[in-house]
Amino acid sequence: MAASARPQAGFADRNFKYLLVAPSIFVLLLIGVFPLVYLLVVSFQGITMTEVDTSFVGVRNFAHLFHDRRLWEALLHTLIFTAIALPLELILGLAMAQLFLDRLPGRPIFIALLVLPVVVSPIVSGATWSLMFDNRFGPINQVIGWLTGGPRTLLWTINPDLVYPAIIVAEVWQWTPFMFLLLLAALANVDKSQLEAAAIDGAGWWRTFSRIVLPAIWPVMAVAILIRGLDLFRLFDIVWALTKGGPGTMTETISIFTYVKGFQQFETSYTAAVALLIIVLLSVVVFAALKRVQLAR
Amino acid sequence: MADLKITGLHKYYGSVHAVKGVDLEIPAGEFTVLVGQSGCGKSTLLRTIAGLEDADQGSIEIGGELMNHVLPRDRDIAMVFQNYALYPYMTVFDNIAFGLRARRTPAAEIEPKVRRAARMLAIEPLLDRYPRQLSGGQLQRVAIGRAVVRNARLYLFDEPLSNLDAQLRDEMRGEIKRLHQELGKTMIYVTHDQIEAMTMADRIVLLRDGHIEQAGAPLDLYERPATRYVAGFLGSPAMNFVPARLQGETALAVALADGSELALPAARSAKLAGRRGQAITLGVRPEHITRAGGELRAGLVRRTASIELVQPTGSRTYATFRLGGAEVVAELQAHDVSQPGETIELAIDMNRVVLIDPTTELVVS
Amino acid sequence: MNSLHGRQRLRLVLRLTAAVAITLFFLFPIYWLFMISFKTPDEIFSFPPKWYPGQIQFGNYAVLFKDGDAATVGNSLVVAGASTLLAMFVGTICAYSLARFKTGGEHLANWIISQRMVPPIAVVFPIFLLYVWLGWVDTYVGVVLLYTAFNLPYVIWMMRGYILDIPLALEESALVDGCTRWQVIWKVVFPMARAGLFATAIFTFVFAWNEFLFALVLTRTEVVTYTVQVTHYFGGQSNFWAKISAMSVLGTLPIFVVVAFMQRYLVRGISLGAVKG
Repeated sequence: MAASARPQAGFADRNFKYLLVAPSIFVLLLIGVFPLVYLLVVSFQGITMTEVDTSFVGVRNFAHLFHDRRLWEALLHTLIFTAIALPLELILGLAMAQLFLDRLPGRPIFIALLVLPVVVSPIVSGATWSLMFDNRFGPINQVIGWLTGGPRTLLWTINPDLVYPAIIVAEVWQWTPFMFLLLLAALANVDKSQLEAAAIDGAGWWRTFSRIVLPAIWPVMAVAILIRGLDLFRLFDIVWALTKGGPGTMTETISIFTYVKGFQQFETSYTAAVALLIIVLLSVVVFAALKRVQLAR
Repeated sequence: MADLKITGLHKYYGSVHAVKGVDLEIPAGEFTVLVGQSGCGKSTLLRTIAGLEDADQGSIEIGGELMNHVLPRDRDIAMVFQNYALYPYMTVFDNIAFGLRARRTPAAEIEPKVRRAARMLAIEPLLDRYPRQLSGGQLQRVAIGRAVVRNARLYLFDEPLSNLDAQLRDEMRGEIKRLHQELGKTMIYVTHDQIEAMTMADRIVLLRDGHIEQAGAPLDLYERPATRYVAGFLGSPAMNFVPARLQGETALAVALADGSELALPAARSAKLAGRRGQAITLGVRPEHITRAGGELRAGLVRRTASIELVQPTGSRTYATFRLGGAEVVAELQAHDVSQPGETIELAIDMNRVVLIDPTTELVVS
Repeated sequence: MNSLHGRQRLRLVLRLTAAVAITLFFLFPIYWLFMISFKTPDEIFSFPPKWYPGQIQFGNYAVLFKDGDAATVGNSLVVAGASTLLAMFVGTICAYSLARFKTGGEHLANWIISQRMVPPIAVVFPIFLLYVWLGWVDTYVGVVLLYTAFNLPYVIWMMRGYILDIPLALEESALVDGCTRWQVIWKVVFPMARAGLFATAIFTFVFAWNEFLFALVLTRTEVVTYTVQVTHYFGGQSNFWAKISAMSVLGTLPIFVVVAFMQRYLVRGISLGAVKG
C-alpha cells in the first residue's frame, strides 16, 4: 500500500469545528466572564466616591446591602411592576389572540399594525406616553375631562399616586402585542380535533379552555412569561423616559438604583455588590423557573 | 476506475460497535452491492469509504492509495444519496454542475460535460427546471447525473431507490445496471432490498450486525449459502425452514417431527454420515417444491399435502401446507391449486435442499 | 340554519369591530407622536390640545437637521447595522458547529444560553471600566462590538435550530462533490437557511437599534445614538416636545419601514422563537 499523494486532512480540517466557535466563545468570555470576575473582586474592595481602597475589606459591602433601605425599596418597586404588568400583558394578549384566532378579513394587516408598538424603542415609548399623559397638552387628561365634565389636573409623571399606573400603562401598551403574537402562534397549534370532540361532548367554554387549550399552550406561555418576566426585572428605559425613577425614588427600579449608585454616586465597590446580588437573584429565579417548566413538559 | 481494499475496519458510534472488523477487496470495474437489514452497518461502511465518517481502526485503500486521512473532496469519488440531496434553490443544470464548479473547472468545459451527463440519463429537457418541479424518478436521475458528470474513479450509491414506488424502482434498477455497463466504473451500491442486490450485483456482500456474513456472486450466495441467515435472506418468498433430525441405518433421511421421512440422495447421504442421529434444520426453497408428475426423477421425494392458504400472483401460485408440523410455502404453477382445503401431490427436490446445523446456524450441506 | 348563519355573521361583525377598536387603541399613541412632530410649537402648546395638526409642517425636523442632531440616526444605523452583520456571521458559524458537530456538547450550549439572561445593568459598570482602559469609550468599534456580543447568544440559539432543519445529505453531497467545509457553509447552509437568517437578523437589528442603557453609558459626544439623543431633550423644567417627538419619529420610521417589508419574518421570528426556544 502506498501512502496517498493526495492532500491529507490538515490542522484546520481536523479542528474546523473549534475554529468556528472560537470567535463566539472569545467574545462571550469577554462579556460574560470578565465582568463577573471583576465584580467579585471589586465587591470585596473599598472603592467609593471619595477613596480608592483596593484592599480586601471583607463583606462590608454585602452587609451594607441588607441595611440599604433604598435598595430594598427598589426591589419592591420592580416586583410591583412585574406583578401587575405581567399578568395584564398575559391576559390581554391571550384575549387578543383568541379574538384573532379564527378567520378574520384583513387579519395580516391587523397583525402587521399591531406589531408596531413592539418595535418602537422603550425610550420612545416612554417619551410618547409622557406626551400622552401631559397634564395640559396630552389627550388622556382631555378625555378624562370630557368624561368627568370638567378639566382635570392630573400630573401623571409627578403625582405619587399616578406614576405607577402611568408606567404600567406604557409598559403594557408596548409589550402586550408581543404576548399576543406568541400566544396566537400557540393557539393556532392546538389540536382542532380535540376541540371538536369537546364541543360534541358538550363542554362549556371555560372547561374546554382550562382542560384542553391551556395545557396545550403552556410550553409557549411559560417561555413568554420567562422572557417578559426577565425583561420586567431589568426595567429601565421606559421608567427613565417617564419619571427617571421619580418622584424622588418612588418609581426607582433596581436597574435605575444600580445606575444611580454606579454612575452618579460612583460607589464602585458597593455597586459591584449590588450587581452581584442582582445576578444571584436572577439566576435563582431562572433556575427555579426552568426546573418547573421542565417538569411541566 | 479504481479498486477498493478495506482491511480490518472498525467503527464505533459512542458505545455501539457498528462495523466489526470488515475485510473486503473489490476489483476495479465491479458492481458490488452491500446488502443487509437496517442497522447491519452497510451505510456506515459506505460513508466511511466516502470519508464522511472516520474509521476508528483499519485501513481504506482506493487505487492502492491509503485514504484514511484524505478528505472526501480529494478521494475522487462520487456519491448518490437516498434523498437525492439536490439543492432546491438551483436549477437542474446548476445542480449537476455544482461539483465541477466547486473544483474550478473552466466554464467552457462545464456546459458540454453537463449536457452529456444529462443526455445519458434522458433528462436533457429538464436542465432549466427547479427540483420542486420534478417527479421522484426525475430527481433521482438528476442526482445520478450529478455523480456521473465528474467522471470519478469510484461511485457510491446509498439506497438511491428506497424513496421510489415499486414500478419506478424496477425501471431504475435496469437503468443503473445499464449505466454501469456503459461507464465501466467501480460501483458500490447499498440497499436493504435483496431483489436489487440479486439483479444488479456482480458480487454481493451480505452484512449482518457489523460484519460480513458472506460475499460472492449472487447465484453463489443463492445456491450455496454459508449460513442460515444468508439462506433465509436471499430469495422471495423466503426459504422454508423445518426442524428435523438425520437418521437411518444405511442411507440417511431427514426425519420430521410428525414421524415422516424424506430420503436424501446417496451422494449427500454419504457426506453427512458423521451426523447420524443429530438434529438438523431443513431448508427448502418454495421453487423446489412442485407438483409431482407421474415419474419422479432421482432425488425427488413425493409428498401428499393438504393446502391451507392459496396466494396467486398471476404467473405462479404460492400454496401453504404443513411439512412435519411446520408451515411451508410451495411455488406452484398458476392453476395447480385454487382453493384452500384441496389435496395435491407434491415433489420436494432433495438435491437442492440445504441442511443447517441448528446450533451453529452454519450450512453443512 | 338561518339563525346559525345569522349568529355567525353577528359574531364576525362583533369580532371585526373589536379588532378595529383594539388596533386603533394600540396605534393611537404612535399617531399622537407623529402628529405632534408635525405641529408648530405654538400648536403643541395650545390648550385644549387639538387632535390633528392645522397643517403638516416639517419645521421641527428642519431644526434637527440644522443642528446636526439628525445625524444621531445615522450613528444608530451604523452601529445597529454593523453589529447585526457581525453577530449574524460569527453567530451563525458558531451555530453550525454546535448543530453539526455538537461541539462542546450540552455544556457549551447551555452556557451560551445563560449568557442571554445576563442583566445588562449588572455588567454595564465593569464593561464601562474595561472600555475606559481600552480607550473604547465613545467609539464606533466599542459600541458595535458590545452589541455584537449581546446579540450573539440569541443568534446562535436561533440559527442552531434553523440549521438543524437542513437535511444533512445536502452538505455531505457537497463535501463529496468537491467543496471544502467553508464552501459548504457558504454555498449550501447560508442559502438553505435564508429565511431563518432574515428573521434572526431583523430581531437583532431592532434590538441594537432601540438599545439605550449601554449607549447611554458608553458614549459621550461622538457616537450618540438616537435613543440617547431623545433623552437629551428631557429637561428638568420643561421638555422640548417638538424635538422629542421629531427625533422619536426619525428614529422610529426606519424601523417601521424595515418591519413593513419584513413583517412576515418578524412575526415568524417572534412566534418561532418561543416554539423553538
